[in-house]
Amino acid sequence: MAKVLDDKKKGHGHGHEGEHPAAPMVEEVSDFEILEMAVRELAIEKGLFSAEDHRRWTEYVHSLGPLPAARLVAKAWLDPEFKKMAVNDGVKASLKVGVDWIKSPPTQFGTPSDYCNLRVLEDTPKLKHVVVCTLCSCYPRPILGQSPEWYRTPAYRRRLVRWPRQVLSEFGLQLPADVEIRVADSNQKTRYMVLPVRPAGTEGWTEDQLAEIVTRDCMIGVAVPKPGVTSNVKLPVHRAIHPIEHHHS
Amino acid sequence: MSKPHHDRTHHAKKATNVGDPQCFKGQAGPAKFKAGDTVRIRDLPDFFYTRCQTYTRGMVGTVTLAVYESPAAEDEAWDNTDKPEWFYSVKFRQKDLWPDYPAAFANDTLETEFSERWLEKA
Repeated sequence: MAKVLDDKKKGHGHGHEGEHPAAPMVEEVSDFEILEMAVRELAIEKGLFSAEDHRRWTEYVHSLGPLPAARLVAKAWLDPEFKKMAVNDGVKASLKVGVDWIKSPPTQFGTPSDYCNLRVLEDTPKLKHVVVCTLCSCYPRPILGQSPEWYRTPAYRRRLVRWPRQVLSEFGLQLPADVEIRVADSNQKTRYMVLPVRPAGTEGWTEDQLAEIVTRDCMIGVAVPKPGVTSNVKLPVHRAIHPIEHHHS
Repeated sequence: MSKPHHDRTHHAKKATNVGDPQCFKGQAGPAKFKAGDTVRIRDLPDFFYTRCQTYTRGMVGTVTLAVYESPAAEDEAWDNTDKPEWFYSVKFRQKDLWPDYPAAFANDTLETEFSERWLEKA
């Protein structure tokens, strides 16, 4: 609980340090955070795991990032045999980039919510995959790390299945009508990542160079790799005309 | 009266060093459907928990792959792992799922998974 509250305080900084005198903070803890704490405490009391297990697990999850997956894509672009393996058995292909879905997590049985089935969805010039979890926010964390905030929002989850082209264009990706867009709804034990098409202008590149342009968003499917683009899509921020004033008293 | 003993970590023990759903491999018997089969998603009642999306109920799609064996989510939610089933990936045409899907994008599709109980031949 203390950890959650500390994180919240950091989030409230907004670069205003020094401008306001220290004031008592009204803490905002969501229902889901309270639920998580309650379930976690019960699970520890019942002996399902210990508080130390939970800390180790949290540390492990926060150390993950999308780099191994980017390398998997770069390898697949360079080696057709590896690509075949990745498409047929994502868990096996992950081993080649240092991710053991079963044994890397401290649990030694995969991750309690991510399971151990990875499908690598291969794009072609006429087929574009994009991933969502309409029921919650399933995401291939062992190989992509933590999901971005927008991936977990009801707006993305509800709208992507029904209006995929509109949602993709909000991410700056517009595709011609003859390209089939295939939404993968991750509703059971399979986790998905997208293997995008290798873009023109990358001929002769090394694996390191290629991996740099394979961003997290490209592997969720809301963006396509481009030479020179090495960071995720930045959605425009529109400042409120009449912002809400926060009065801490 | 003594409480019946139930080992709440039995699932984790089964999956240790093997993985989940790998730990249920070979336990579901022969798969009823295969890639290419046309199937309809059944509209079964669900009690308290399901992972079969409402938007797929009654819809017709094509099996792309028999993916793995596992207890259905509706059983596993209650810690019942006695009867693993085959899971299938099924592909739908978006225009079949949503009546207002633009005709200009008739090629668009959606793929998602079902346990065997949710499928019938169409």
